[in-house]
Amino acid sequence: MSIRVLNPNAEVLNKSAALHMNINAAKGLQDVLKTNLGPKGTIKMLVGGAGDIKLSKDGNTLLKEMQIQNPTAIMIARTAVAQDDISGDGTTSTVLFIGELMKQSERYIDEGMHPRVLVDGFEIAKRATLQFLEKFKTPVVMGDEPDKEILKMVARTTLRTKLYEALADQLTDIVVNSVLCIRKPEEPIDLFMVEIMHMRHKFDVDTRLVEGLVLDHGSRHPDMKRRAENCFILTSNVSLEYDKSEVNSGFFYSNAEQREAMVLAERRQVDERVKKIIDLKNKVCSGNDNNFVVINQKGIDPPSLDLLARAGIIALRRAKRRNMERLVLACGGEAVNSVDDLTPDCLGWAGLVYEHVLGEEKYTFVENVKNPHSCTILIKGPNDHTIAQIKDAVRDGLRAVKNTVEDEAVILGAGAFEVAARQYLVNEVKKTVKGRAQLGVEAFADALLVVPKTLAENSGLDTQDVIIALTGEHDQGNVVGLNHNTGEPLDPQMEGIFDNYSVKRQIINSGPVIASQLLLVDEVIRAGRNMRKPT
Amino acid sequence: MRELVTLQVGSFANFVGSHFWNFQDELLGLAEDPNSDPVFKNQSLNMDVLYRSGETHQGTVTYTPRLVSVDLQGSLGSMSTRGTLYDENSSASSNIYTWGGNVTTQVAEPHKKNLFLQSLYEEEQVNLLTLGNGVNAGGKSCRGEIHDSDKVESLENGVQYWTDFSKVHYHPQSLYELSGLWVDPQKFDNYGIGRESLSAGLQGEEVSERLRFFVEECDHIQGFQFIVDDSGGFSPLAVDVLESIADEYTNAPVLLYAVRGPGSSMDPRSQKQRVSRKLHDAVSFSKLSSLCKLIVPVGLPSLSTSKASRFLSINDKKPYHCSAAYAATLHSISLPFRMEPLGPTADSSYASGAVTISEVVQILAGQARQNMVAILDAAMPSPSLTGNWVGQNLTGNLQPLTPEIAEDVEDLQSLESMIVHGALGSGGHRASISEVKDTVHAAYEHGITRPMFCHLSVAQCPLPIPLPFPSIFGNLVGQHGELLSTPIVGSPSRGSLDIHSIPMAARLRSSSAILPFLENRLGSLRSCGIARGAPGAELVRNWGFAKDELEDMGEMLSKMIATLGLRSEMSSDSD
Repeated sequence: MSIRVLNPNAEVLNKSAALHMNINAAKGLQDVLKTNLGPKGTIKMLVGGAGDIKLSKDGNTLLKEMQIQNPTAIMIARTAVAQDDISGDGTTSTVLFIGELMKQSERYIDEGMHPRVLVDGFEIAKRATLQFLEKFKTPVVMGDEPDKEILKMVARTTLRTKLYEALADQLTDIVVNSVLCIRKPEEPIDLFMVEIMHMRHKFDVDTRLVEGLVLDHGSRHPDMKRRAENCFILTSNVSLEYDKSEVNSGFFYSNAEQREAMVLAERRQVDERVKKIIDLKNKVCSGNDNNFVVINQKGIDPPSLDLLARAGIIALRRAKRRNMERLVLACGGEAVNSVDDLTPDCLGWAGLVYEHVLGEEKYTFVENVKNPHSCTILIKGPNDHTIAQIKDAVRDGLRAVKNTVEDEAVILGAGAFEVAARQYLVNEVKKTVKGRAQLGVEAFADALLVVPKTLAENSGLDTQDVIIALTGEHDQGNVVGLNHNTGEPLDPQMEGIFDNYSVKRQIINSGPVIASQLLLVDEVIRAGRNMRKPT
Repeated sequence: MRELVTLQVGSFANFVGSHFWNFQDELLGLAEDPNSDPVFKNQSLNMDVLYRSGETHQGTVTYTPRLVSVDLQGSLGSMSTRGTLYDENSSASSNIYTWGGNVTTQVAEPHKKNLFLQSLYEEEQVNLLTLGNGVNAGGKSCRGEIHDSDKVESLENGVQYWTDFSKVHYHPQSLYELSGLWVDPQKFDNYGIGRESLSAGLQGEEVSERLRFFVEECDHIQGFQFIVDDSGGFSPLAVDVLESIADEYTNAPVLLYAVRGPGSSMDPRSQKQRVSRKLHDAVSFSKLSSLCKLIVPVGLPSLSTSKASRFLSINDKKPYHCSAAYAATLHSISLPFRMEPLGPTADSSYASGAVTISEVVQILAGQARQNMVAILDAAMPSPSLTGNWVGQNLTGNLQPLTPEIAEDVEDLQSLESMIVHGALGSGGHRASISEVKDTVHAAYEHGITRPMFCHLSVAQCPLPIPLPFPSIFGNLVGQHGELLSTPIVGSPSRGSLDIHSIPMAARLRSSSAILPFLENRLGSLRSCGIARGAPGAELVRNWGFAKDELEDMGEMLSKMIATLGLRSEMSSDSD
């Protein structure tokens, strides 16, 4: 209360009010995202004030769309979004878990228990759960040829929570194949090497994997070929446009002729560069019917395009920086920064290059490449929000596969892990803890059940029945999850429902930390809030 | 032709931009309108410099600004981020193709279109109908007739978003909203918070991606016209984008306008906020200036009481008002970039003095002093060539829109690039290009202070006043922008209904008058950030700046000051 002396305008919430503010915020956020979870969750359609539509079932996307103002909710949301940044999934679960931890704690705190004791219990339970997770995980041997089946199962589990089944199953293969395509032994997987490209197409919802690259622009010269087979690909970062360099910028010429001469000289430099490329083309393409494609990161101006077109070269300008890397990985060769010592070794190869035009949008497909280490997932959809939603799902799927490859382990899904961990905490850990911290462990254990409970709720099942059935099976030593269609227990191993190890670990790690921080708040001060209001 | 790509980052920047594009739209409309003043028919301006032609999926041809605009989520009001041109029938789009399960729909209350936007919309519908049916659409349009005066009034009282007074169609790639920031727009007011919210860097990448879309189309880009609202959290985003421009488009110069709305310079009440504001100004300025070729700070703390608005009656509280004046000046400055160069001797009778951005940069910042902070001056409206244009009054009429600069500075090394357009000669007719040139040269000849170098561009085409332009003219301004000797009785402020066009003069000036602006920033950086026990040391650390970074900034600023200060002293010594 001393703050009142210092700043009489400060608003102060005392201990219990502060705590309840935090708990309510956490519960509120939980309520918003609860319906998303699982394959029976609800998709949300947000229509903005100007009629813009956003469609999502992804916790991460929804959080970003919400204009959250409550400081507690922002804290939880930031944790959840960080969860997504790190592991690519689990945003909704994190929010649910934090909310449930707060909800469980509320019961005990209302009975007069000090939050500190609960927090101690959380800490013990967290450590025990993480240890349990290590024992519980199903190791997957990656080696040189990863087990495609298990990767597919993980991808399918994620995708089916975001898209309807047929679409999810179609994407499963695409996602797994694209990660395997970019995977290189002994190197971390860089998902940026999978390009995700979209096209708006009136009636078509379709997604396909292009082994190679799709660029979102085309050549800018009418005489260049729109389709070419057997192409050498030159990936370059060389300016092929005449720009007055600053030093010679046209101000201090004594007469017009001098200026003209200068312009010509500079133009000639650009032409020389173009010539070198044409020379290389003539070298590799003479005597056969191979084609030559230049994909340049810098600009190419019309005179240069003219020269290239006359030499039968297809040229694209201003390619994305990332595509330079991808091109080299997909087609081979190397990206050149200067045309001075071009050799045929710099060139990549593609069996087919063609242009596709949709209205004012142009796409260039570089396909039929040898041994690609980069690929493109091409999404077609009738409108932006559909495309955006599929994109989100694809991204999640890619992350799930990547995590599996890197974790070399998976976790049984459908709520099996949560129920097992809860039983472990209640039956074994709790006994080893002395004093009231036991209650903290218990609260933690019950909070874990939020995942199977919510899955059941979203499927229209009775949560109590489900939990009893599941814990019963677990007590008999059967590790089971929830069949969301029947409400009966199922064996996730048999059904192929697997979650990511790293995602689960991250949730267990970060959830209690935030919940503990929020529980330990005993005063909320809004200093000088009123001073900002105009009087 | 040399294309320009425009960027608008931040809310006030978009207010300015919205007016700017309204002028362009008006010029385009007047050029086609058979009833318009012939001066608009032959503008000698190439609009393709700013605009791109495109085509929708249905094959309709479009002509849209080459623009990327960034603002906070929800700042677009009733305008959709995709614009309207490329919209397909929205009834089919609400089908959900990707999910078989339950759907919940949350519909935000639709933003009501104001009268002005309503009438635009109706006009378009009528046009569509006449195109479709060929005849007999006139009867329908009468029903929804809205009087111009009502539209103007509704704009005067009710502009909330910059889209409320925009009559331009934008390309779907143009408008980008930042989502997921979770900050109160009021608190999005310093470098630190902006940097924190953007830490993932995805937004910067998205903006660069959209920029690439427009640049890829350009055969020969002359540069970027970048308007940033640097009063708050948008600066770090602008810095991100500028960095990527510097990387990707090395030779394309950036002309950066750092604009500020009227509210941003209000004196904050608490000491802490004051320190934060000062540090923000210093940090943001030094970061932005290090990444562009020419930076022009624009935005007076109180535009209404400044000399620049001698003939204007502006309400400082309304961004709608202030941005109009700044936009008009930016429009004038941009004219030479789109004039058709005809060669050194041949001059068109409509326009002369074409320059490109890089040439302007070269004139102002490329020579001896290399000072890259320019002052923006405007005369709105510029007086007619008779009488008081001669002599001292030329400089007297051009008043600065750049804050914190010294007045009456004698700087023999100052450099200028001036544009006069639509100037009126004696008797109210438009002065010819050569008349204007002669008068300006004469004025400089007779003037006491004379710049070392002045580039003059002249155009005959005045600034058209579009309908959604606010009523900010005082009662001494006539229908064609002429200055009256007796005030018009009755209305204190006059707007688009009374005034159709005005002559303008604007100038970019590189002068030591900018010294106080630089010194203030260096001073606050030192006293609040670097000095031992500085009140803001902790704050800048939280913003993510190490001490040596601050010292680097300080050094950069003092170098800027040194080039200006030292040279002018030396030259005055030698006199």
